[in-house]
Amino acid sequence: MKPSIFLIISLIVLTSICDTISQLFLKSAINSLEANINSIKKVFAFIIRLILVRRIWIGLIFSCLSLFVWLFVLSKADLNLAFSIDSMHYIFIAFASSLILKERVGLKRWLGTVLIVVGIALVTLSGL
Amino acid sequence: MAKGGVTLKILSILVFSDVLETFTNFCFKKGALPASALQISNPAEAFVFVKTVLLSWFLWVGFLSVLATFIIWSTVLSKIDLSVAVPIASFSYILVPLASIFFLHEKITALRWAGIFFILAGVIFVSLSTKKNESPVR
Repeated sequence: MKPSIFLIISLIVLTSICDTISQLFLKSAINSLEANINSIKKVFAFIIRLILVRRIWIGLIFSCLSLFVWLFVLSKADLNLAFSIDSMHYIFIAFASSLILKERVGLKRWLGTVLIVVGIALVTLSGL
Repeated sequence: MAKGGVTLKILSILVFSDVLETFTNFCFKKGALPASALQISNPAEAFVFVKTVLLSWFLWVGFLSVLATFIIWSTVLSKIDLSVAVPIASFSYILVPLASIFFLHEKITALRWAGIFFILAGVIFVSLSTKKNESPVR
């Protein structure tokens, strides 16, 4: 009855990819707006402008996809296990941010990413 | 438009958004539990799964929490890089295991704690990488 750890991992990879894509669309949409938020009023004005940017809605679709798969994973696996494996989205974010959003991802950041991968491997082993 | 670094204000907002995310995950897990016996190997079963899950109060509270998180997260993202915000928001890597022990009575073995420790160390490195690397102007 308990699904294999490999199925769980594959599903979490899928969740991570969808979530990364949705974050990219969100950040890209935010970047396209000139925003200087320093009051609660400005927060809501900003959000209203934000939801008018078409990109956001594509991001939302990916976010929903990600959530659907994530809910299924959570119904089958321990939360702390699923959450630890899900941390691989750091790697996706680092790659995507540097490639697509042109953010500067230096050596320390990549080293940190490797440590995260090792951590994920250990957590995965503990789930077998 | 100048991008700031991670100020104390931003840090505390991110920690709060993390607490919200922990709460969201907890709600979704509680909401998904009743459906743990279900499969989704065809559309009909998927529909039943979705229907079962939507019947849970926890799921709807989780949705509200997601909305609040979205507002806070978008606001923070208007001030810092994505590859900065995401690692710093990793505080939940401590919160979620703790919450799952206390509230969901899940067990965490020594090996898993070691893995969590590595993840945390990696996250700290990523956060430390941000100070000098940020582009000053967008």
